[in-house]
Amino acid sequence: MSQKNRIDGGLVNREKSVKFRFNEKWLRGYEGDTLASALLANGQLLVGRSFKYHRPRGVFTSGSEEPNALVQLRDGARQEPNTRATMVELFDGLYATSQNHRGSLEHDLLAVNDLLSPFLSAGFYYKTFMWPKAFWEKLYEPIIRSAAGLGKLSMLPDADSYDKGFLHCDLLVIGAGPSGLMAALTAGRSGARVILADEDFRMGGRLNSETLEVAGQSGPDWANNAVAELRSMDNVRLMSRTTVYGAYDHGIYGALERRTDHIADGAGKPRQVLWRLYSKRAVLAAGATERPIAFGNNDRPGVMLAGAARSYSNRFGVTPGQEVAVFTNNDDGWRTAQDLVAKGVHIPAIIDSRDSVPDIKIDGAKVYTDTAVMDTIGRKGVKAITLTNGKVIPVDALAVSGGWNPNVHLTCHQRGRPEWRDDLCAFVPGGDLPVGMAVAGAANGALTLAAALAEGHAQAAVQLKDLGFKVAKSDVPEAEDEPRNCAAFWHVAESKKRAWVDLQNDVTVKDIKLANTEGFRSVELLKRYTTMGMATDQGKTSNIAGLAILAEEAGKSVPEVGTTIFRPPYTPVPIGAFAGRSRGKDFRPYRLTPSHKWAEEYGASFVTVGNWLRAEWYTRDGEKGWRDSVDREAQMTRESVGICDVTTLGKIDIQGKDAAAFLDKVYSNTFSTLPVGKVRYGLMLREDGICYDDGTTARMGENHYVMTTTTANAVLVFRRLEFARQCLWPNMDVHLISTTDGWAQFAVAGPKSRDLLRKVIDAEHDISNEAFPFMACGHVTVCGGIPARLFRISFSGELAYEIAVPARYGNSMMAVLNEAGAEFDAVPYGTEALGVMRIEKGHATGNELNGQTTALNIGLGKMVSQKKECIGQVLSQRPEMIRDDAIKLMGFRPVDRSRKLIAGAHFLNKNDPADMAHDQGWMTSVAYSPNLGHHIGLGFIKHGDARKGEIVRAVSPVHGVAMDVEIVSAHFVDPEGERLRG
Amino acid sequence: MAEYTLISEPPLAGYDQDFDGTSLVAPQDLALVSIALPLGEEEKALRAIKSAYGIDLPDVGRSATTKKQDARLLRLAQDQAFVLFTRDKPGAAEMVGDLLKGKAYVTDQTDVWTGLRLSGSLSVTALERICPIDLHSESFGQGQVARTMMEHLGVLVLREADDTFLLLSASSSARSFLHAVETSIENVL
Repeated sequence: MSQKNRIDGGLVNREKSVKFRFNEKWLRGYEGDTLASALLANGQLLVGRSFKYHRPRGVFTSGSEEPNALVQLRDGARQEPNTRATMVELFDGLYATSQNHRGSLEHDLLAVNDLLSPFLSAGFYYKTFMWPKAFWEKLYEPIIRSAAGLGKLSMLPDADSYDKGFLHCDLLVIGAGPSGLMAALTAGRSGARVILADEDFRMGGRLNSETLEVAGQSGPDWANNAVAELRSMDNVRLMSRTTVYGAYDHGIYGALERRTDHIADGAGKPRQVLWRLYSKRAVLAAGATERPIAFGNNDRPGVMLAGAARSYSNRFGVTPGQEVAVFTNNDDGWRTAQDLVAKGVHIPAIIDSRDSVPDIKIDGAKVYTDTAVMDTIGRKGVKAITLTNGKVIPVDALAVSGGWNPNVHLTCHQRGRPEWRDDLCAFVPGGDLPVGMAVAGAANGALTLAAALAEGHAQAAVQLKDLGFKVAKSDVPEAEDEPRNCAAFWHVAESKKRAWVDLQNDVTVKDIKLANTEGFRSVELLKRYTTMGMATDQGKTSNIAGLAILAEEAGKSVPEVGTTIFRPPYTPVPIGAFAGRSRGKDFRPYRLTPSHKWAEEYGASFVTVGNWLRAEWYTRDGEKGWRDSVDREAQMTRESVGICDVTTLGKIDIQGKDAAAFLDKVYSNTFSTLPVGKVRYGLMLREDGICYDDGTTARMGENHYVMTTTTANAVLVFRRLEFARQCLWPNMDVHLISTTDGWAQFAVAGPKSRDLLRKVIDAEHDISNEAFPFMACGHVTVCGGIPARLFRISFSGELAYEIAVPARYGNSMMAVLNEAGAEFDAVPYGTEALGVMRIEKGHATGNELNGQTTALNIGLGKMVSQKKECIGQVLSQRPEMIRDDAIKLMGFRPVDRSRKLIAGAHFLNKNDPADMAHDQGWMTSVAYSPNLGHHIGLGFIKHGDARKGEIVRAVSPVHGVAMDVEIVSAHFVDPEGERLRG
Repeated sequence: MAEYTLISEPPLAGYDQDFDGTSLVAPQDLALVSIALPLGEEEKALRAIKSAYGIDLPDVGRSATTKKQDARLLRLAQDQAFVLFTRDKPGAAEMVGDLLKGKAYVTDQTDVWTGLRLSGSLSVTALERICPIDLHSESFGQGQVARTMMEHLGVLVLREADDTFLLLSASSSARSFLHAVETSIENVL
């Protein structure tokens, strides 16, 4: 197909022809074209089918506001539906397909919907698919869903990559049209750090689409020169292809930069980057959007906005047709006629809704005043128009202008409400703008060129002065203030045919009237009932006309009706861009224990604990399942010795003259009495008296403690302690610093643990029971002088130690401990065996300290010292918290020892019904005990300590399991604690 | 002679990569010790620091190199500083503690952190992808130091030279940290 609508001029590079494919057709355009301009150049007016009625649709605008020309770009995993052809930069090999048709674009089977339109008016879902009720889910909804929607997702993982970033500036200028360029020049010349962002790939905004002069140069030339000057400044960052989509708190803006969308092969670089722009001040110079006039069959391909027709002819060298009529209610529409005629396009008629029109002679054009277009004729493209005076004029395109709406969107992102200006027949920014934002140019209602340039300069100057800059003297270049008179004319009342207001959602004037008649009179309800203003274009071309028609119907003024709320994003942002690079393995950071490498080599299976990867068990040859490994590890540890990496427990170094007093305040029990060289178990409460965290704290020196926390709460506890130190007791000399990652710490547990450690710890350190008894701690050296810390503490209930070495030696230390332990059949054990052994000992962990339980509940009521004040102490003594029949942590074993217990099962007295009213408590942790040969559990049960030996039922309706269990002591193994003191 | 020997294996040991002239290196034998100034006795501690290192402790957010002891002092908070130096064996905190003669609290941070030195013409551009703080030389000049977050990881960032940054982050998440920085460089190459 030849480029039959290509005309002279424009800013495209005619030296560089570009080949692209639309559906099955290969076409040609030029570098600098958009997909829309190239399709128009090739005479491809029909580009898609409409949302509801599957009506033929063509290119309607030349920018991001496009409601009609939505296409699917690329294929396979890179397929992207609902892309605006007006924003797609043409490149060699581009592949686009049309959307929303069954069968070919030209012969869409679902075009039958158009014939059914009398039944498909606003709210038809709610009225039509009411009964039979059961049909909705199974029949109606699937049919509607398959018919509705525009493009289709590939259902494959996105093959592209995305990134995010952070940029900072003194002044952010949003939009690089005349006012934006002027603002950026003013700020750049004054030495401010400037970011100038524009959604287009060519900066200049409307200057590139008009024939207006600036400072004696053509608009595009002046824009080019301005951009060149800005590019030469180190303090200015130019960001084309970047849409600032949202205004957030504190001068932070969201922006999407399209990095490789315009090239065939992105070389694996991120396709788009989502920027967070931190600005001290901003100038919004987002321009204005032209609005259409609603009249019968105004949606046919070939009908487009008058400003877009100028863009195609002036910037892209493309005419929308050979016979182009202009329908306008304002002076600006006349410029389309002038510009097209100047390019040799025939304008058969100019139809102006006003009596009084500009005194401009357009060669060959017949001028109709006080007249409107009320219908178009054609099917897949407009063939003729019918005027309100009955005249039928053959055309192949119609340019329509209903006036311009300032792009106020970003001014409203923090609930600013725009104000109506009668002279413009449009809303302008009003109320409270986002902090630090000023608005300039067309976005502020300065719709003429000279005014826009002047405002860009002035608003930038105000912002710069505010920041303390001396504003460099910049002359505002000379330009004209073109005529802009406009009439408040929204739709053609004489039209008998359907007149489209929202092209993207197939909303007509009649739908808006119907909504009003049916009581949906608030503009927000109108939007939701008719769907006007929804989807990818967010009603950029339809909203104002829609609410003006609503106002007319309701007998109100437009400002009385008001607008819907504008929210981010200004234009669509792919979810992939929000995710950025966070996907797959790197969705979030992961932490490795110091012995991770050794564990990998020795068959460890890993479990995620917070961000940590911990060994859960180590599989040995011949083991058929995890239970074999876990049983072996737990048994061997109790019989001989086991080694477990416990580095993940939080470690906080606490120093200061008031460290002891500080610990007394944050722990429920006392630490000031702990001698140097000793460790104590500590319990922390929340302010409300509920248990918060537990762990051991060692006194390494008079003013030096090392606290351990649970793995899960390490950061929370540190944060809480910092708060306590800085805010609650700022007069205490206490200093905190995390050392969690600094020390590789290993539990060495079992009757042979001392024997094993003696082989590793340097001989000068006496670790005999007498010299280093249970709960001792101290500095030692290992393997010939490497500093280490030794703690005689036990989570397993066995004779046990924890030994810590600088983390860099952790992997090696794990290897050495296992090697040295070989003569004792030492085993490495993981978190599962650790869990089994702690249940056997009745030690509480996260399952028991679940944010609902008290010290009394877990059997540690006496640890809440009443001799001193601590966080949570007062509220822990509330009557409800210390009632006699409070739940208590107990052990449970199945009466039938062969049965498996279920964590989460609830306890019921033997003959009580299974309902909440009879609930006695719940099972928190269960395990198979290889040492006892049956399942055991821990759980909370009312008055548990007085019920040892009682049989209750453990019921889990979720699993459909109920069984008798016996209440026993939580200490299943070595209840007297003799082993750990041995 | 002990029967067993421990091998030192810092998480990113030996990492050294060039990306078209922008280099990313895990510095060897970096020792890091935190210094806390005792409440009410800050002056004594500051004098001890000056006497040990020959310079005043810089202001918060700034660092300075010392000729004496060949170290860098980084002031992170009113009452907290880090001292950074090269040492190929453990015991960094004890050494600093001795130098300060017990006038300040010291804690060994060497193994808590892992370091990456990013340098070259793309270093700022790469950091723009992960670093929320303003790295413009007027806002964050040579010698300045800040704590921030990069890809959910806490990071201490120090500008050693115009296009050289030392980044410190937790050693347990060293691989995620390296991935974050490497990806940032690759994305802007």
